[in-house]
Parts: sequence; C-alpha cells; structure tokens
Amino acid sequence: MRVTIDLDKCIMAGECVYNHPWLYEFNDENQASVKVALLTTDDQKLAARQSREVCPSGAIQLHDN
Amino acid sequence: MGALANEIDPREFDSPGYQKDPFPLYKRLRDHHPLFRDRFHNRWLISRYDDVNAAFQDNESFDRALYKVDGPYEFGSSHVFGPNILEYGNSDRHRWLRNIIAGQFVGQGLVSFIPFIEKIAGELLEDCMGDGEVELVSRFSNQFPIRVISNILGLPRADEERFVGWYQALIAGLGFGGEHLARGIAARNEMWKYLEPIIEERLRNPGEDLLSKIAVAELDGQRMSMDEVKGFIALLLAAGGDTTDKAIANMWYHMLYTRPDQFEDVKKDPSLWENVFAEMMRYDAVVHVQSRYTTREVVMHNRVIPERSLVILLLGSGNRDERVFANPDTFDIHRTDMHMGRENRSARYKDKLPGHLGFGVGQHFCMGYAMARQEAVIACTRMMEVMKNPRPKFATHEGISSPNIDSGGFRSPQELWIEFDG
Repeated sequence: MRVTIDLDKCIMAGECVYNHPWLYEFNDENQASVKVALLTTDDQKLAARQSREVCPSGAIQLHDN
Repeated sequence: MGALANEIDPREFDSPGYQKDPFPLYKRLRDHHPLFRDRFHNRWLISRYDDVNAAFQDNESFDRALYKVDGPYEFGSSHVFGPNILEYGNSDRHRWLRNIIAGQFVGQGLVSFIPFIEKIAGELLEDCMGDGEVELVSRFSNQFPIRVISNILGLPRADEERFVGWYQALIAGLGFGGEHLARGIAARNEMWKYLEPIIEERLRNPGEDLLSKIAVAELDGQRMSMDEVKGFIALLLAAGGDTTDKAIANMWYHMLYTRPDQFEDVKKDPSLWENVFAEMMRYDAVVHVQSRYTTREVVMHNRVIPERSLVILLLGSGNRDERVFANPDTFDIHRTDMHMGRENRSARYKDKLPGHLGFGVGQHFCMGYAMARQEAVIACTRMMEVMKNPRPKFATHEGISSPNIDSGGFRSPQELWIEFDG
C-alpha cells in the first residue's frame, strides 16, 4: 500500500502528523509529507486507514499497489 | 516604586479578584515576568503567546503527566474519572487511545453526526422557547452537548435524563470540590454500575456506535480493561459536555453584553457565529490553563526550569498578548490578525495567521475541537431561527467567572436570561 497527500486539499491540520508520526511529518514548507514509501504489514495498513479517517480535509489517499 | 511596583505576590492567584478578572495580572506577567517562578504554589508560569505555543509543541521538554521514578503517574483527574487518556502523558498508549476515536471527532466521521446534532438542538429548543424568555444555561446549553455525546456513544435515549444528572454532578465535583466532589464521585459510581452491563453487551455484539468501538479496540492484541473503558466514557461525557456547554453560553454572553453592535452583524449574517466562536476562544476561552511537567532542564528567558517541575501554560494570557494581536482586550468578530476559521492542531494555517490557543496545540490538542465548533455554531444558528429579536432580559450582568481558574476551573456565566419576541 502507498499513501499520497493531495496538497491542494490539505489544510495543514496536522492530525496525520500527530496521530501517526512514524508515517507523516511536516516538511520545510509546513506541509504534511509521507515518510514511508511502501506499507507492507497489517498494522501499517490499519494505521494508514486510521490516518485517512482522521484527516479533516480528505487529503489523504491510499493506493493498493 | 519602579521595579518593585511590578513584583507579583503569588497569593494574588488565589484572590477572588483574580478568579473574576485575571487579565490585569496576566498582563503584568507577560510584561515583567514572562517566566514567573511561583514559590508559594511551587510552580512556574508561562504567559506570552510565543512561549505557550512553543511549550505546547515541545514534547521533548514538557509532558502532560508526571512520571514518578517508581512507575505510576500522577495527575489530578483519575479520582473522578478513573484511569483515562489524560493520565498517559506523551506515551504511545496515549496516541493509541486517541487514534481509536479521533476519526469520529475530527475527520470525516464528524459529518455523519451533523443531522443528529441538528435534531437534538431542535428538540431542546422546542421544549424551552415557548415563553418569550429563556435562561440559556440551565434550559439549553447545560443539556445540549451531553445529549449529543450520549447518543454518539449509542446509550439508550430513555436514560438520557439520568446522564444529564450524572454529568452535572461530575462537573460540579471537579469545579468546586468538597461535598460537590463527594456527590460527583457518587454519581460516577452509579454511572459505572449502570454502564458495566452495557459495555459487556457491546463486547459481545459490537455495533457501529462509539462505545462499541472503544470496547473492542485492540493494541498488540490487547483491549482496554473494563476500568479503562469506564474511565474513558466518564471523561468523554464530562469533557465532551461541559466545555461546549460553557462555550455556547459565553458566545451568547459576548453578543448580548460585550458587543451588541456586532450582534447586529451576526443577525444579518448567521455564518458569523463561526467568527464569534473563534473570538470567544481567544478573548476569554472556557479553559485558561494547561499544566505540564518538565522532562529535562528547560532554559527560558535566561533562567533554568529544573527537570520535573510543574509548569503552568497560561493560554488565557497568551491569547491576550499584544505582541501578537492588535487591541487584544477588544472583542472583535471581524479580526483580521487571527485565523478565524476552523482550528488546526498543528497551529499552522494556510492564511499564515496565528490561531487562538484556546484548544491548546500539538499532541494534547483538544480532541473535541471540531465537534465543539460544530455543535456551538449549529446551536447558536438554530436559536437565532426560533428567537425573534433576541435581547438581554436584564440591562446588566455580573459577567463571566470561574470557580478556580488556575486549577482548571471553566469560565462561563452562571445564568444568562434572553428575552425575545414569540
């Protein structure tokens, strides 16, 4: 599974960064970015789904390949 | 005079004058003692916007809980709530607990509750709007958020009145102590006894409700203990109810008494309730104080705060910091120097404006921030629809106060009478 962020939608809420700091961080321009390229374990995928749920702007996208 | 005039006697923090109007003392702290060592209460106080904001974001130096050498934590709410998320400091367990329910309160899940929030607001208003006048606190704001949260948990609607009663007793216990505290704990025990079979039932047959989600959530194959689930529910009822309840009363208070001129703008454009919410959270938020413990020595304003010190983050003062906001002591819903829209946990905004500190910032940012704004704005908007020409019943009001502001007492008017045309 891969995770991408639609930066036009992103409102910099920070929910992904604070709830799942191993997966997301703020970059130098204060925008959320993904730290882990490929998610392989079930725990990682569960966390990715949680992060999509918690994103207030719907900016997080999950891709199965 | 001179320097001595600006000395602060820490007993001022216990005075009735400070509980009523803390802002002059906040300003003296910001201007003359941006890091104040309060030897009398054995704590440190931070009062400027930038310092409070930075401390909220510095998890390496400040923890929500004080961890003792021998393991257990120490924090002041478990005697009322039982073991709960607030006790777990900056730990992974805290983050896990938060993740279980964050999606419901913050993200897309919130949208599904809106019809529900509307419905409960409508029911309550129908019940209390018949007489051309209403006491807002007891008849509406005190009941509204608690009914919303108990429904989100999927608790039986027939028992809602009992929850309102338990909730009010719990809150009075936290705010006032003494015999109120004894009644609060009795209410909690009654509530827990009532909840136990419901929790067991949800464990056997989990549904889509929040209580089921909390009961069956797992971390490394482990579920929460029964005590933890009950503590979590007690906290949600109290934290999810009390703060929003008081926010609604505060918004109306400021429109009726502080800025009746700007209330005219809101009557013409009810979407401005969003701005009223933001400015209320800056000007005189429900909660003024958060506490932290230092996990290491912290250097600030050329002084050293030792490790394991209690540090009070005076967000109520940071919100009035003239270094950040122009005319900070003026309530202004048209402010252009603050982010007036929905709050961000990161304190970062695309409009690059500073936000208010009323929900905190960072790891321990208020979980219910989006829910609170949503509930408050919906409630106020609905009220404007059913009340024609709303106005204060009494020409003067004793104002907003707090039972004990710097130990977390919530600020709100005790009563708020509104008169309106049929």
